[in-house]
Amino acid sequence: MDSPSARQLDQTIAVALDAYDGLAALGEEIEDEWTYVADLTLAWRARLEAVADARGDETTDPLVAAAIDGAIAEIGLISDPHRAIDWLSTFPQVVLLALGEPG
Amino acid sequence: MRFQDAARDGRAIVYAGIQADPSVARAAALLLDATEGQRVLARAVMNGTSTDPSVWLTMFPTLFGPTVSAADRRRSEAVLAVSLEVAERGEQIRSQFRGAIVEALTAGLLARRVEPGIVRRERRILFDGVRAEIHPYDVTVERDGSAEAYDCKWGARGIGDDVLHQLDDAQRHAADEDATLSVALVVFDAERSCRVRLDRLTAPHDRIRVVSLGSLDTLSGAV
Repeated sequence: MDSPSARQLDQTIAVALDAYDGLAALGEEIEDEWTYVADLTLAWRARLEAVADARGDETTDPLVAAAIDGAIAEIGLISDPHRAIDWLSTFPQVVLLALGEPG
Repeated sequence: MRFQDAARDGRAIVYAGIQADPSVARAAALLLDATEGQRVLARAVMNGTSTDPSVWLTMFPTLFGPTVSAADRRRSEAVLAVSLEVAERGEQIRSQFRGAIVEALTAGLLARRVEPGIVRRERRILFDGVRAEIHPYDVTVERDGSAEAYDCKWGARGIGDDVLHQLDDAQRHAADEDATLSVALVVFDAERSCRVRLDRLTAPHDRIRVVSLGSLDTLSGAV
């Protein structure tokens, strides 16, 4: 496996999106919020994919890679679907901030 | 249109204790002058699971990285410390603390734009011939001719049809009395998430301003 510092930005974002999908699956357990979860996930996924499209060839700064890995680890700790929904909005904001991108 | 203190029921008394907790005032004071990044940090930590500061230092290189000035880093560290204080409380309690912090922050920002004495908390708005709403408004600006009412939410998920109806109704009732009442939702969450939430709600919200995490400083007139 590549070290985080060797990753291209599009790979880094792809890894973040994989983790984000797992978070969305957990949030979808709240049936009343299923549509919101789906819409929210779609909106933030599109924003992160736009960054990958624009800057995907860049090499990921090691500090940014560590930040995003940290955010992925943090959402990996979540088992409560309500908290997962909170993080469906928070996680992309943390990732974008690390990337120096507006939300 | 007139304003009135909310009833001092059991919920209000318990919540008043939370509002008066020193960590709420400290968090709100720090967030008043925080950058958007520092506010995202506060949101993440107070929503988070980890209570080890080093986890958050790594996750926010734009706030704690080597190129950040010592002064900015100190401010970010203070935001992190007070956010961890809140996070370390139980899940139910910290949910109430987060709400109280958004309200205190909203009141603080408004008090930079208007005379602080007219910024009030937990107030009801009464209109002639209209049954009073049960739920008070979190923050009000009470002045003749241009009153304001705010409902505060920690996250976009907290926006619901009920609160939109309450705010819209209040504005309409004020207009019926030839009074002006501006209504807004203050949401400590990203504008994108608020928009997604609003798009799937049916209550009217065209005349309700939404102040999100990225536009909080508009409350003080700073931007």
